[in-house]
Amino acid sequence: MTSPIEIKGTETPVLDKAPDPKAAPEEKKLEGRSPGQLMWRRFKRDKAGVISACIVVFFFVVAAAAPLIAKVYGKNPYTLYAQDDPTLFDEFNFPAGANGGISGDFWFGIEPKLGRDVFTQLIYGMRTSLYTALLATLLMVLTGVLIGIVGGYMGGKVDYWLGRITDFLLAFPSQLFFVASMPVITTIFVAPDEATPTYVKACAIMGVLWFLGWMGLARLIRAVTLSLREREFVEAAKVAGASPWRIIRKELLPNLVTPILVQGTYMLPSTILSVAFLSFVGVGYDATTPDWGRMFATGSDIYEQDPTFMLFPGVAMVVFVVAFNLLGDSVRDAFDPKTGR
Amino acid sequence: MSIFRSRSAQAAVVAVTAGALALTGCGGGSGKSKDNSKQKKDAAAQAVSVQLGDAKASTGPAEPVPGAKPGGTMKVYNATDFSHLDPGQIYVSDAGMLGKLLFRGLTTNKENEKGNQTVVGDLATDSGTTTDGGKTWKYTLKDGVKDEKGHVIDSADVRHTIERMYDTYITDGPSYIQQWLSGSGTSYRKAYAGPSKGKHLPDSVLETPDKKTVIFKFKEAKPDLPQALAMVGYNIVPKATDTKKKYDKAPVALGPYKIADYKPGKSMKLVKNPNWDPKTDAMRHAYVDGFDIEFNHNDDDQTKTILADRGEAKDAVMFTGQVSTTQLRKVLGDSAAMKRTIQGYAPYVWQLNFNLDRVKDKKLRDAISYAMPADAVFKADGGAYGGEVANNLLSPTTPGYDDAFDPFNRKSKPNGDIAKAKKLVEEAGAKGKKVVFAHGSEQNRQEQAVLIENALKKIGLSPQKKQIDSATFYEQVGKVKNDYDIYLTGWGQDWASASTVIPPVYDGTQIQDGASNYSHINDKHVNAEIVRIQKITDPKDAAKAWGELNEYIITKVNPASPVYNSKVFQIAGSNVGGLRYSTTTSYTDVTRVYLKK
Amino acid sequence: MLRFLLRRTLGASLILLLISAFTFFMFFAIPQDPAMLACGKNCTPDALAIIHKNLGLDDPVPVQYWNFLIGIFQGRDFAVGHCSAPCFGVSFRTDEMVWDTIVDRFPTTLSLTIGGLVVFLFVGLGTGLLAAAKRGTWLDKGFSSASLVLSSMQIYFLGPVCLGLFVYSTGWLDKPKYVPFTDDAAAWFMGLLIPWVVMSVIFTANYTRMSRSTMIEQLQEEHVRAARAKGMPKRYVFFRYAWRGSLIPIVTILGMDISALLGGGMVTELTFGLSGIGRLAIDSVNFKDLPLTMGVMLVSAAFIIVCNIIVDALYAVIDPRVRLS
Repeated sequence: MTSPIEIKGTETPVLDKAPDPKAAPEEKKLEGRSPGQLMWRRFKRDKAGVISACIVVFFFVVAAAAPLIAKVYGKNPYTLYAQDDPTLFDEFNFPAGANGGISGDFWFGIEPKLGRDVFTQLIYGMRTSLYTALLATLLMVLTGVLIGIVGGYMGGKVDYWLGRITDFLLAFPSQLFFVASMPVITTIFVAPDEATPTYVKACAIMGVLWFLGWMGLARLIRAVTLSLREREFVEAAKVAGASPWRIIRKELLPNLVTPILVQGTYMLPSTILSVAFLSFVGVGYDATTPDWGRMFATGSDIYEQDPTFMLFPGVAMVVFVVAFNLLGDSVRDAFDPKTGR
Repeated sequence: MSIFRSRSAQAAVVAVTAGALALTGCGGGSGKSKDNSKQKKDAAAQAVSVQLGDAKASTGPAEPVPGAKPGGTMKVYNATDFSHLDPGQIYVSDAGMLGKLLFRGLTTNKENEKGNQTVVGDLATDSGTTTDGGKTWKYTLKDGVKDEKGHVIDSADVRHTIERMYDTYITDGPSYIQQWLSGSGTSYRKAYAGPSKGKHLPDSVLETPDKKTVIFKFKEAKPDLPQALAMVGYNIVPKATDTKKKYDKAPVALGPYKIADYKPGKSMKLVKNPNWDPKTDAMRHAYVDGFDIEFNHNDDDQTKTILADRGEAKDAVMFTGQVSTTQLRKVLGDSAAMKRTIQGYAPYVWQLNFNLDRVKDKKLRDAISYAMPADAVFKADGGAYGGEVANNLLSPTTPGYDDAFDPFNRKSKPNGDIAKAKKLVEEAGAKGKKVVFAHGSEQNRQEQAVLIENALKKIGLSPQKKQIDSATFYEQVGKVKNDYDIYLTGWGQDWASASTVIPPVYDGTQIQDGASNYSHINDKHVNAEIVRIQKITDPKDAAKAWGELNEYIITKVNPASPVYNSKVFQIAGSNVGGLRYSTTTSYTDVTRVYLKK
Repeated sequence: MLRFLLRRTLGASLILLLISAFTFFMFFAIPQDPAMLACGKNCTPDALAIIHKNLGLDDPVPVQYWNFLIGIFQGRDFAVGHCSAPCFGVSFRTDEMVWDTIVDRFPTTLSLTIGGLVVFLFVGLGTGLLAAAKRGTWLDKGFSSASLVLSSMQIYFLGPVCLGLFVYSTGWLDKPKYVPFTDDAAAWFMGLLIPWVVMSVIFTANYTRMSRSTMIEQLQEEHVRAARAKGMPKRYVFFRYAWRGSLIPIVTILGMDISALLGGGMVTELTFGLSGIGRLAIDSVNFKDLPLTMGVMLVSAAFIIVCNIIVDALYAVIDPRVRLS
């Protein structure tokens, strides 16, 4: 509902500034490197960035290879091990062994009450959370970029109406909307006598997150596009008779890579936390699906009784989110060395 | 009574209006031994039938609680708001507990320190007199019992209380007396439309010859009337101040307290009702000046807060809350805290209902019954202190219960007999069959669902879990045409007789939307037996007959698999005195608590 | 200014109208009869029909929506009594006036969110500025890494842990509780202290990082450097030039975080057992209580919109280049 703010001058209220497009061609002449190469060189020099990138990659690899790891390890996240072997539990249905039942068989212990294996729960849970969040973030970024560019480049009526739609969705109390709409979506798509398949749940979660998640980026992209539109190189392309599509693709998009990447890396961890939020309020994944966020929430409830159960998901979550944020910073610095660290 | 929303959701559990369970001693274990919780024998050993009290026992004031002193405000934490405030709508136990503080009926249950109950006159001078074996009951009102507005209760108010139960806006209350007076099922509603249509029940049914006398006239002997009248559902609604539908928001109090402030879904404050005269009340005490009830605190929250025992939590009691599963170990390991706990055996039997319209093969039903991981399922709902494996469909607290009757070998195989079940599934040719399993949405229900799903998968079925929001769980599975095959529901006796268990849950003539026959069992023999046994007036004969019918239902029909009996384990603040488990409400007895300082 | 307000109010009303329509029609996609809930255990078809009539569920959905809209301005009459404007209807479940319920609950949420906002703005911007000013020192590193770790935290994780530490084990503080500010300001403050801190932690971290980076960026701007070169005092330049400039992007983000703030308030309420709008929202959705859901949605949306208008007005204060129109 914010009306476009008129700002004199070319300064836009943008957090991350676009790289100076003029600088790139100049350097090209001297060194023969593309901005991408430059960015890569700068990134490689940033130790923290490289380490966090490695950590992030590690997490994604673990998530992707979860079934494989589980196979080698010989357990799965669904079997209720304590059901088959009651000695694993004490009379309160907590792990009988010390440290949450950590043993050679159960590396990270077993889950209280249900007796599932924590290690496989965690890697499968990471898989669930990361995939859901990654896809949702991709959707948001695509939509945000599309709407931002179209609005910013076309201007006029199109921009006005896209802006109004953005405002409209921004005014939605998003979390409230998630809670209210999730049951509706699942009842519409699932036959009454069938369990809600996990993929439907996942789609619904991604859908609602996407629906109210792209507006921030769209605004940002629109603002940057607005300022780029007036630049000489775009004018030149126009005069040369390039089609709008070509201008967007060849002139605008390359200059938008920085804000998109930077915002994207910030959006992913927050989306992971949003997925966890949905589980917490009871409309996300249910107890059958291993879910990182739910492990985290359960862990904090029983941290006095079984601190181990909170430890592994908790540490993994902190490490991942920190690494991803650091990576975001490094990417930004690499693209735009002017921004101080 | 049905358990409307599950206890683990800490929502309203349905009222136990009476229970013959008497306990050897409430109070608590030392926390040293392995399992100090109440066992079946605790409940069964003392399934003494309820005594009927005479005029002397019905005279107030109630015998003082040793060491009790007046004053202070009691703090109450509860998970959810009360489902109803209109006594006529109250059938669930959180509201039932509140009802004990706010309302009074013709009779009430008085408990001794062992928990043995006596039905005594509350507004009536005694528990009722009958000269023809229970067909006609006469009650005489005590002098000068006033409501909070100062109105003296007379027989017209009693008549109005019974009559308004026929009105359409009364949907959730008990229906025993209406059915006894005017016809079974919902046919009583056709016989009489309620006082708002301007007519009264005829004198041939309910007679009020003078201001002090009320006479009930039944076609058949109804020896249980005094117990039924003790239910909060039949507590008095004064005629002049009845606001009908709106009464559910602002009822008129007759008991020791009245509502001073009520914010639905948030909080409620009770203060003393100055018009309540302890001399007329044989059961209630009113030591504290008021109750300060706060909603939206789940079991975990309640347990942690009260266990920490700081600030106002020192003065706190639980209503329907339970020591949460995750905090059990901590509470049991703290001997000082254990002194602040109470335990009791609640009368609910949690059973896995089969929707007989959909699961038609008895072999399949038997297979699922054998496969139930009963032990793990109850432990997910409060650990060893939250329940106990159920052998059959009657509770140990119900007369007629036979501990030896264990059709699914629960004793030897508390976690299910997978091998046998598997064989039965194969015999039934049901391998890979889809079984739709509806469960509530709270954490505990989800976990139970995972356990049951696991067992069903093991025996070769294809379970389809459907999560239903706990707020509407019973409404959804209560529909006759529902889309589910199996669902876990709980039911407990309204008073110590299987006549408050088997007819409401297994009578085929009562099948309708919202009825508690969740399995839709409609067996000719069962229906006929129910009619026959209900006519037996001798409690011992009746109990035996009910016990036999219970065996028939399970072995010949198997409409529901017994899973667990529930137990109650509550904790209170250190400043709370007079703590005792009430066999009437199956939770803390709130009519006798006091604050030490 | 007046034109700005007028235009924005008009836009806001339109948006609220759209949101209400959206929510209303979405609700009717649920294949469940809300009257079943009000009907209870011994429900008969007759009783159900009466409830249908009382709740106005017999009318076609668009008519129901129209009645709802009219009610907001004119008030409506229900079976339970008159509902005066602004009438958001009567709760299906409790028969309470939706507006009264919201008015009763809103102060809790408002105290929670505004308090949390103040805490995280102060702490977040403060540490960010300090880190920028002492760039490269251990202080900067400490703040930066702390903010990184804290930003990965969750309210429902920190909440129970803080309760365990400060309330249940040590007893340093009492259990969080809402006491109206007008009743007892000190109790209000102490009661909400833990929720504020826990809630603001996740936001603080973001704002620390943001204010630090924009501040550093600003300090390198030409006009700031020029001011320093001209010999203006360091402190003056820092606050007068750089800080002001760095606030602009922060205010932008703040505007977009308002709805996240409400969401944060929701989790905080659930975590600490407080009864505010968030709890009300979840209850209303669980009970399929349409009027209450609508009311909460609209009031929350209005809250977000008003906050955004304030944020936009703030732009003009911070950035003289911005004109309100």
